[in-house]
Amino acid sequence: MTGASNAPAAPDFEGHLDALYRNALRLTRNPADAEDLVQDTYVRAYRYQQRFEPGTNAKAWLFTIMANLFRNRYRTRQSKIVEEPVDDPGNDFYIYERLREGGLPTHLRSPEDTVLGREISPEVVRALDDLPTPARMVVLLVDLEDFSYREVAQILGIKIGTVMSRLHRGRRALQRKLWRYAREAGLKADVS
Amino acid sequence: MSDPCGGVERRLHEYLDRELNDAEVEQVRRHLHDCPPCLDKFALQEHLKRLVKVNCQHSAPERLRNFVAALRRRH
Repeated sequence: MTGASNAPAAPDFEGHLDALYRNALRLTRNPADAEDLVQDTYVRAYRYQQRFEPGTNAKAWLFTIMANLFRNRYRTRQSKIVEEPVDDPGNDFYIYERLREGGLPTHLRSPEDTVLGREISPEVVRALDDLPTPARMVVLLVDLEDFSYREVAQILGIKIGTVMSRLHRGRRALQRKLWRYAREAGLKADVS
Repeated sequence: MSDPCGGVERRLHEYLDRELNDAEVEQVRRHLHDCPPCLDKFALQEHLKRLVKVNCQHSAPERLRNFVAALRRRH
């Protein structure tokens, strides 16, 4: 191995750009802020890259930087601070029960006819963006990035129990919102 | 066994997110195989998770890509 340097290979930070960007987009809810947030994240990552331990999880490290930046600089930028909802009956299977009760107009009776049936749906993004920020952050890290609960806890600096309760709250709220959108779409179809 | 469905329901999120150990996974899988309502509930959670994933895919804009490439070259 003549000529090989002893320095470890530079960590691959660039490979996580798309993941960071799509997350930032849902965190900030506007593309300009998302770009700024990701730029700031990378500036910080490269500036402090010697603090990154080679062989460890670069993706989690980058997301930790971004979560801290978001908390310290960007949350106050949001025009709408979404508060925690007071009406959370704690029902994990809201949609399942509504479907069994037949709560939709007859022509939307099967799940396939609702937002649940269509894979690509702007309602899903709308519902996500409407979640309170703490729940949204956890849902994104678990559902979109496949981080483990432990990794999410480290990234956000919270306990695993808190990760789980925010995740459950977020998923329940998503169900309620998607159900409401489906009903609204059904009612609109009824009167048109 | 008292309330096997309740026990499984409480762990559906963890099952979905691959947070259970092998023994727990096997317990849940066996119950879902025998219990259509619980299987439906699991299918709903799984579907919701996939909806989030599918609808949030996004590539970084070119400008951002170039910015990061330039940063990497400088370091």
